[in-house]
Amino acid sequence: MAESLNIENATVTIATDAQPDNKTRRYDRQLRLWAATGQSALENSRILVISGSATSTSILKNLVLPGIGHFTILDNEKVSPEDAGNNFFLEGQSSIGKSRAEEAVRLLAELNDSVESKADTSNLEDILEKNSSYLTSFTIVIAHNLDPKLLDRLSTLLWSDVSHPTLVVVRSAGFLAEFFIQFHEHPIIESHSETAPSLRLDKAFPALLDYSLSLDFETMDPTDHTHVPYVIILVRALEDWKKSHEGKPPQTYLEKKAFKEGVLAMKIKFDEENFDEAESQAYRCWTETTVPSEIASLFQYPALSSLSPSSPPFFHLLAALQKFTLEPPYTLPLTSTLPDMKANTTSYIHLQKLYKARAEEEKERFKSFLTVPVDDSIVDTFVKNAHGLKVLRGRKWGALDADPTALANAISTSSKQVAIHLSLSALTALIMKQPGVAPTIEALTQEAQSLLPPGSEFPEEFSDAVGEVARAPTADLPNTAALLGGLVAQEVIKMITKQYVPIESYCVVDLVETWTGII
Amino acid sequence: MSSQSASTSNTDWPGRYHHIDQVLNSPGPRTDPAFLAGDGVKDFLRHQAKILVIGAGGLGCEILANLALTGFKDIHVIDMDTIDISNLNRQFLFRTKDVGKPKATVAAEFIMKRVPGVKVTPYFGKIQDKDDNYYMQFNLVICGLDSVEARRWMNATLVNLVDPENPESLKPLIDGGTEGFKGQARVILPTITSCYECSLDMLNKPTAFPICTIANTPRLPEHCIEWASVLEWPRVQGDKKMDTDDPEHIGWLFSVAAARAKEFNIEGVTWSLTQGVVKNIIPAIASTNAIISAACCNEAFKIATSSAAYLNNYFMLIGTEGVYSYTFEHEKRDDCPVCGGEALELTFSADLTVEGLIEMLVEKQDIQIKKPSLSSPKSQIYLQAPPQLEEATRPNLAKRVSELVPNGGEVTVTASTLPFSLSLRITYT
Ligand SMILES: [Zn+2]
Repeated sequence: MAESLNIENATVTIATDAQPDNKTRRYDRQLRLWAATGQSALENSRILVISGSATSTSILKNLVLPGIGHFTILDNEKVSPEDAGNNFFLEGQSSIGKSRAEEAVRLLAELNDSVESKADTSNLEDILEKNSSYLTSFTIVIAHNLDPKLLDRLSTLLWSDVSHPTLVVVRSAGFLAEFFIQFHEHPIIESHSETAPSLRLDKAFPALLDYSLSLDFETMDPTDHTHVPYVIILVRALEDWKKSHEGKPPQTYLEKKAFKEGVLAMKIKFDEENFDEAESQAYRCWTETTVPSEIASLFQYPALSSLSPSSPPFFHLLAALQKFTLEPPYTLPLTSTLPDMKANTTSYIHLQKLYKARAEEEKERFKSFLTVPVDDSIVDTFVKNAHGLKVLRGRKWGALDADPTALANAISTSSKQVAIHLSLSALTALIMKQPGVAPTIEALTQEAQSLLPPGSEFPEEFSDAVGEVARAPTADLPNTAALLGGLVAQEVIKMITKQYVPIESYCVVDLVETWTGII
Repeated sequence: MSSQSASTSNTDWPGRYHHIDQVLNSPGPRTDPAFLAGDGVKDFLRHQAKILVIGAGGLGCEILANLALTGFKDIHVIDMDTIDISNLNRQFLFRTKDVGKPKATVAAEFIMKRVPGVKVTPYFGKIQDKDDNYYMQFNLVICGLDSVEARRWMNATLVNLVDPENPESLKPLIDGGTEGFKGQARVILPTITSCYECSLDMLNKPTAFPICTIANTPRLPEHCIEWASVLEWPRVQGDKKMDTDDPEHIGWLFSVAAARAKEFNIEGVTWSLTQGVVKNIIPAIASTNAIISAACCNEAFKIATSSAAYLNNYFMLIGTEGVYSYTFEHEKRDDCPVCGGEALELTFSADLTVEGLIEMLVEKQDIQIKKPSLSSPKSQIYLQAPPQLEEATRPNLAKRVSELVPNGGEVTVTASTLPFSLSLRITYT
């Protein structure tokens, strides 16, 4: 064990100390966002994209560049003159008449040698019929403007088991578009939350409290006095305050003001910036550190009550976290990341060591609540990010359109988004009923009406949206395709890496007025 | 098919513009009534419009591809950089074999090869090399840059180009920028809408570490790296110029920073962090660049064709948590030094010295200036260059501003990094 640890340390040292290899250099700008763990998740992913449309290849471009493991384009069409005009991953006239999947795959594969690729020219209907396990072998399936009957079968297949791939449904017409992610649940450890974890000054751990009480501010060397970190100043000031206030922190406005004045009065020279910093951070003394409500609400999650050894590690970690928070100090485990603060090296590093030691102790206590073995590196990441944990719950594709009341309710909260959604749903339905016929505004409106409860009003933006759809029903505009390509790829990357927070529902895009929205 | 002559249309095979033409053949419900659907607008887009792209990097590659596919056929591109291996995770017109070649040239060749009939004219050099006549030839300018300084120059140049007598002199500027999962796209109509300079205070303040922290009380790995690059490099290497693209230089800085970190028990100095700090690296991914470039090109297309109203005037996207975006009108600033016309009001103590004023200006987020020179209508207050004038005006640094400028008086600020001069109106407290 000791030996293998040493080897691991040595490898890490080599990886970070030497000049990076070509792969690290190539991916440098993205590794700064999702690190090696995110990169390896991408490299292990297999993506299926249905159709080789301009939107499909735009999405894939943004996934091939950062280095997914594999992609397949499923498309049995030949390149038409229309395709050759709007798709950057076709070679103009010379591609016309060739397999759209093969041409697109060939030109996309050039972007990154380490990505495996495949053109599949078979028919989706046949696959759904005879070989559905092929479809479920991917990590994520993406479908652009897919025939609604096939889409229905595909989404039902992928929804039928929680282990099946996530489905991304993309629809666009002219300047308008939307996409939807179908998944059962999506736990996130590294949400990259921008809120910093609590320093727990109101519940100072023993070593921190002892240290702050051991300092004699009055007789201290004046240079050292100027370098006491605000964390220590506040812990001490709070302890002194509590002694004369029945053990309570400052509560009223006047008390808080008096506390701050007390902190400033500790200065021995007017320009001691560490005391100014302490004053500005004083709110930490009366902000009680508890379990944040968003985290506490995760403990209600059904998966926790039916935990079995085979449940995903995330839920075992969550259960351990809940047990941890039920004991004093009734908080999340401490994290050792300290913000920078006015201090000299010695005092800052000393403080950092106190936090690190305590964080280690709490991590060990956290681990004692785990009922199954979990990899140490995952435990580390989990504890470090405990304040930003998330579990997203998704829905099946089509659930909204199957529920007229929900759709009508959505109009009251996201009127312009629903206007576009209704128009695109109407278009999909019409194209299926009357293939090859240009949809009229009247026909589209009638289709949209049938989705809503009888007698409901359309959102006020509906006529704008439906007019735009009727104007360009089959237009896969290069700019719309490129924008969707970016948005969808961002969400797919977030799903695969399990980092950052993807959308849970529909994202709607209007490129006439240039906005995006969520239903 | 439009009725263009065979010579210009031999690459326009039937059906080529099937997708685009759907929005050019008829207006939408929100399209301006002045939109001339049909051949007129197609002819302008495909045969007359001339568009300039600044930058052939992360945004530039995307912008060029989108413009070419939407039908712009006379595209110019300026970029002063050469291709680096770290560009290949997003700058999709470049391959490993292109490393070291000029971005503008390689990008232009790629587009012309991939999209038939499009002419892309590259310029491998600086935007500052070109004069007003050059910029006058374009209908539109799209900026996809990562440098604040270059954008300020381009913005000021296009604002100054506006001649009220000549409507052709007003060149819409579309500007995009990204950082990680976030980005923004905006439309600037010089002198009419808010300009780049008007919104300078929206930029994040660059992290600067006080020299005394770096020299005496390092706490973070970044402090050790700054010590190596700001203090140790000039001390040890003398006049040798630091090249942050040279792995040997980064290696030297890394080992010096790591040694200092060890001495102070500071953890976390790595090669990657060293490079990130000294090069001020901003995370960048293909997908965000695609979103922002598409938004920029969509505005260019709408402005060039009037097929839909263009953005008024700012689109901001945050993709870290869900897809959050915000579209709003950024207000023009009356005291904008580029497009406002009014002097910037500045109030300070009558005891403030010239040196104090310079420090104050350097700190000000809404003007972002590095080494300002100051003058009043009557005299030169302090000049950073040339050396003789610097020496001659240096004694003024210790003087109070109020000795040199009356209450309510004007001070003109210039700097080599600013393509314009800034007027301040001074009030003493
Ligand atoms: Zn301005």
